Amino acid sequence: MNAGRSLHITRRQLFSRTSKGIGVAALSHLLERDGKAAGAIPGVPHFAPKAKRVIYLFQHGAPSQLDLYDYKPNLAKLRGTELPESIRKGQRLTGMTAYQAKFPTAPTIFKFSQHGKSGMWLSELLPHTGKVADDISVIRSVHTEAINHDPALTFFQTGFQLAGRPSIGAWLSYGLGSENQNLPAFVVMVSQGLGGSQALADRQWGSGFLPTQYQGVKFRAAADPVLYLSNPEGYSGTARRRFLDDLASLNTLKLDDYQDPEIATRIAQYEMAYKMQSSVPELTDLSKEPESTFDLYGPDSRKPGTYAANCVLARRLAERGVRFIQLFHRGWDQHGNLPRDIAKQCMQTDQPSAALIQDLKQRGMLDETLIVWTGEFGRTVYSQGTLTEKDYGRDHHPRCFSVWMAGGGIKGGTVYGETDEFSYNIAENPVDVHDLHATMLHCLGVDHTKLTYKFQGRHYRLTDVHGSVVRPVLA
Amino acid sequence: MRHATLLSALLISRGAIFAAPGSVEFNRDVRPILSDKCFHCHGADAAAKKIPLRLDSESAAKADLGGRRAIAPGHPETSELMRRITASGKPIQMPPAYSGLKLTSAEIDTLRDWIEQGAGWQRHWSFIAPVRPELPTVSRADWPKNPIDRFILQRLESEGLSPSPEAGRETLLRRASLDITGLPPTPAETAAFLGDRSVDSYEKAVDRLLSSPRYGERMAARWLDAARYADSNGYQFDGEREMWRWRDWVIDAFNRNQPFDQFTLDQIAGDMLPNATLPQKIATGFNRNHRANTEDGIIPEEYAVEYVVDRIETTSAVFLGLTLGCARCHNHKYDPFTQKEFYRIFAYFNNVPELGRAMKYGNSPPLIPAPTADQQRALDAINARISKSEAFLREREAALREASARWTASQQPAYWSPPSGLDSAFTFDEETAPGRFGNAAAFDGKRSIDAPEKGAFDIDDRFTLSAWVYADGPTNGAVLSRMNDRARGKGYGIYLKDGAMHVHVTSNYDDDAIRIDTERKLESGRWYHLAATYDGSRVAAGATAFIDGEPAKVKVGMDTLYRPFRNAGAKYKEPLRIGAGGGPENRFRGRIDEVRIYSRILAQDEIGALADLPQYRPFAARSRFLEIGAPSDIREAWRQLADLRLEREKLERTFPTVMVMAERPSPKDTFLLVRGAYDAPGEKVEPGVPAVLPPLPEGAPNNRLGFAKWLIDGRNPLLARVTVNRFWQMYFGAGIVKTTEDFGQQGEWPTHPALLDWLATEFMRTGWDVKAMQKSIVTSAAYRQSSKTTPELQQKDPGNRLLARGPRSRMPAEMIRDQALYAAGLLVEKVGGRSVMPYQPEGLWKDLAMQDMYYEQSRGDDLHRRSLYTFWKRTIAPPMMMNFDAANREACVVRETRTNTPLQALNLMNDVTFLESARFIAQAMMKEADPISHGFRLVNGRTPSARELEVLLNSYRYHLDYFADEGKAKAFLKQGETAGDPKLESRQLAAYTSVASLLLNLDETVTKE
Repeated sequence: MNAGRSLHITRRQLFSRTSKGIGVAALSHLLERDGKAAGAIPGVPHFAPKAKRVIYLFQHGAPSQLDLYDYKPNLAKLRGTELPESIRKGQRLTGMTAYQAKFPTAPTIFKFSQHGKSGMWLSELLPHTGKVADDISVIRSVHTEAINHDPALTFFQTGFQLAGRPSIGAWLSYGLGSENQNLPAFVVMVSQGLGGSQALADRQWGSGFLPTQYQGVKFRAAADPVLYLSNPEGYSGTARRRFLDDLASLNTLKLDDYQDPEIATRIAQYEMAYKMQSSVPELTDLSKEPESTFDLYGPDSRKPGTYAANCVLARRLAERGVRFIQLFHRGWDQHGNLPRDIAKQCMQTDQPSAALIQDLKQRGMLDETLIVWTGEFGRTVYSQGTLTEKDYGRDHHPRCFSVWMAGGGIKGGTVYGETDEFSYNIAENPVDVHDLHATMLHCLGVDHTKLTYKFQGRHYRLTDVHGSVVRPVLA
Repeated sequence: MRHATLLSALLISRGAIFAAPGSVEFNRDVRPILSDKCFHCHGADAAAKKIPLRLDSESAAKADLGGRRAIAPGHPETSELMRRITASGKPIQMPPAYSGLKLTSAEIDTLRDWIEQGAGWQRHWSFIAPVRPELPTVSRADWPKNPIDRFILQRLESEGLSPSPEAGRETLLRRASLDITGLPPTPAETAAFLGDRSVDSYEKAVDRLLSSPRYGERMAARWLDAARYADSNGYQFDGEREMWRWRDWVIDAFNRNQPFDQFTLDQIAGDMLPNATLPQKIATGFNRNHRANTEDGIIPEEYAVEYVVDRIETTSAVFLGLTLGCARCHNHKYDPFTQKEFYRIFAYFNNVPELGRAMKYGNSPPLIPAPTADQQRALDAINARISKSEAFLREREAALREASARWTASQQPAYWSPPSGLDSAFTFDEETAPGRFGNAAAFDGKRSIDAPEKGAFDIDDRFTLSAWVYADGPTNGAVLSRMNDRARGKGYGIYLKDGAMHVHVTSNYDDDAIRIDTERKLESGRWYHLAATYDGSRVAAGATAFIDGEPAKVKVGMDTLYRPFRNAGAKYKEPLRIGAGGGPENRFRGRIDEVRIYSRILAQDEIGALADLPQYRPFAARSRFLEIGAPSDIREAWRQLADLRLEREKLERTFPTVMVMAERPSPKDTFLLVRGAYDAPGEKVEPGVPAVLPPLPEGAPNNRLGFAKWLIDGRNPLLARVTVNRFWQMYFGAGIVKTTEDFGQQGEWPTHPALLDWLATEFMRTGWDVKAMQKSIVTSAAYRQSSKTTPELQQKDPGNRLLARGPRSRMPAEMIRDQALYAAGLLVEKVGGRSVMPYQPEGLWKDLAMQDMYYEQSRGDDLHRRSLYTFWKRTIAPPMMMNFDAANREACVVRETRTNTPLQALNLMNDVTFLESARFIAQAMMKEADPISHGFRLVNGRTPSARELEVLLNSYRYHLDYFADEGKAKAFLKQGETAGDPKLESRQLAAYTSVASLLLNLDETVTKE
């Protein structure tokens, strides 16, 4: 194009300037896709996927399986008795209870009842989850390697206890690419709980050794849902448009002169940024949601930044084709005052989690969305601190805990795996974190042994050299 | 070769460019295939997997395995390897389908050609010491400016390419300025350079840049990435640590051009050098920069192992370009390193007296005070004054002896206690019970004497507690405390427990405390003097219990304090209690007299005096005389000396500390860890270096110092190559070996092997002269080329590995921010110091961190320091830095990466840092005759073209209209805390600010061109 005719080129002119050949591939790749996922690795998915996307409801701090999903009716009569050595087997404890003199058995004080056609046993703290019992598959026999929060969460997020590897969302955006043109492929939202909160870190949704474009973008409840999204005060969208046109003109002059395709990519990225400036606020604005939405997700869903509001946003992100949507809800670390605090946590999370399933189902999207609910480990059957009539605490317990999955590829109404009578060891069908990862990837049409990335001479994968798909929970 | 074209196309497409003319070369063509596709099973770890065939050794690969040979030289048709790699289906096909690995047809052809040509074998290239190559002959003899160019040109000519013309002078100066100092040239510097017609004007400019203190900051930025430097501990809580004295040592080392071998030696083992200086000890902070876990309830031994592993991974990546960490759990899959060899290196780094569970706040031992130059000067000044005071008193000592004796004889005997550093004193003379001196306070098992605000010490403070105690009945109960008045509370105190004297400093009763108990048991019904000192070191060894003036033998119950009593911000509010502490059941019965609390550690003679020991009575008498009985000038001098000592202690307490390497007095045994697990020790191993590399140099001790000497030994084939390769990467975007972190068999073959060896040998020949090496690179013709490309060149060499053009790449994160601040005149240039907290989006830490971590944004100058001084919290790294691909400082990173994302665009458009900079660039523009050209020069170091000017001028006019609404202009100009020039008209200023922002967003601006 001859810039002499008009310095002020339009975007259309810019993107039609195919004669030079440089950068056009990059531009069309980013902006003019034909419905295929952009940036996917050739050959991925490896087979027909059941789900197109993941909504990952991470309960950070580690909820107690004993008070929510792992029904142990016989434990009530053992209340206060010492946990038998035949069960504990001298296994390692955290430094917080390793010196505790007694390990009194603390049965849950919450009642359990059966739900759905499947007759799934669930705690009275989860009345709404009860309504979707036939849509979820509970795995009661998950176990992990780590006993403390940071390594355990890092392990859940990246398949390795020490920081440095890509998170599962980064792996999937790297492997499957993006299905939308104006939002990131991997979005993270954090909400604050009412119990003991553990620290989170950006690397939990980082890209590790994968290029940084695959890292999760954290949406915040603040004025800027994405960092630096809003134009400065006094600077309107119209001015920004003009700014970007001028910028594109100047960058195009540079492109003509230097022929470096990176310049074309940069022009395209500014266009993408501009689109995000309108698509993200449109996304996070819940004012046009009907009353029925708030009824379904509960009163908290009107308050930005809550778990309930994030669940509504998760559905909206799913509608817009975001690949990996991860929620973190903090506050599940109940070393003491567990009955009081876990009830509060459930008040915040039970209804919205269930609503998400119902909502996606009524929109016909549940089949193509994989939902996973988990914490980083479970909690001990013995009380940390003093056991009283109404109160107890529970320490970290990596040996068994409960997770549920729902939606695309998952057989609802199933309970898989069993723990011993103390919910201390796994009695049947152990599932480790790598197996969960393998299963999640499988639902998205990805063979976990084949999604690899070469770094420092090694072909890395999310599941390292482990993992097998948990087929009994698959539809 | 029938597939030469195809092969080179393929190789280019996977990013590895090597010439394919002539015969197949094992190291260049064959080893990469075998390593990537075969060694995982048929490599160094094959035996462990019970796989009989090894392909990583020539003799094994060519051996007769029962009538079959994997490789029959000259005979591809009878080579089992060829049969397997061309077969399909189980069980013959190799690599097997389940491995996910596949050979391309080009790779199969290469292997076939290689076997046909005799299957020649070579040792892995990087394990052979570099030999200085002959300079190649080239046809265009006028192009090279120095030896580097001969190698570059030879390769270009062999590929049928020619170099690009030299870049324009403005572009060249900006490129060199950014590369060497991290900042662009000023318009004045550019003008001077354009005006300098001398032949060596560019060399002179390079010399000027290399001698700038900014050079050290620029070089340090990459070194900090490699050394995983941060201002926080990482892991869960991620509390603050203090390693900036090490960071400043790095900047200084580069600026004084410390030879790279010494730079290496100091960082690995500076502490073990004879008469190690403070800077040499500080240097060893390199291997204490790793993350440290402080989470409650972790198993310390588990993390102690991780720290050592991190040291090996970092040290091997940085100084050797090896991935030794891969041999932690099993033999290395690709390179000839066994698991045992990994643990032999482990042994060199396993001897640090460190904690597996690190301090929640602040540095963890071993650490040293590391005064800055200013602080050292202040300390020297106080010491000089102290010496003077001491001399003054000493000179008069003989003369005063008689007066002292006379005065003492004339006085009533009295209990004397040192006045210096006294926090509080309780004589109890108003009480009625008979005391050890005068009256005492009596306790009935219920009473508590509370003194608010007294003894308000925390775990980093030094203090002394002293009291006379007389127990009635059982010798139990609290004597003195400042802690919660409940069992298992936090705070400190002395109490009696079944006769033993118990001293504790407690943050958490279960797992965060110091507790010591004397072996000696006290009896009831008599007076004892009890004292305790604590030196703020957070370990039990820093606490001493004294009974009757003598240090008592103690048993350590708990050894380490990790966090203070108070949480950040909130003061710990408990009174000092006498006779109480730790709950109602822990009250004292008996009498207590003469309680003294000091905010310093008392010396033995002072404690002896407090205990009224006969041998210290002369000391007490003399001290009392000096305090109150001596002539006024003497009293004054004595008091002043005490004050000076307090002042010195106070000054010393402000010294920053730095974590350093140190050795245990007796070496700790090291064991091979089965599967790398901390709790699965196998055979015991001795320290040693890998067999495939040269041995320790003659006479070097077999410890960490010897290891450091081995690294810098001229026979080490790796250190020089790996180092010059990283320098090369800084200038050209990619190393000659692209895998800067891996020179092993999985690493990429060098694009210019002879050049790499020339640079490496030149580096050693010049005495590891770092600045000289930078100068050679930036003064080469290769570096000076224009970075313009063409579609043809782009297709042939998209990564510019052959260097037919100059380097063009997006600037690193810190450079983008620094450049904006500098162009705006906002950058505050001050080398070194504590890390600062510039602008950051509101609430960023709050969302994720634990309760006591706040981001306290700096004010004034500290908003605008160079980015390498920005506080780096590992778990929530500065977002602008992360948006622009900065290394995350979790672990060692030596390879630079660049992405191009919409978040970067948003960052540059809307981050207050860049908007405030734009506002100040606009101000500078408005003071010039041609504002837009001036702005362009400030940011891009060149004069804009007529077309560029036209776009910018139109943009300015548009925004002038837009900002006709003064409200908009005023709002837009509010970005940032720095006040601007109030005289400037806001409409124009806003329009120019928009133009300046446009300039800061240009591709060229964020690109080293």
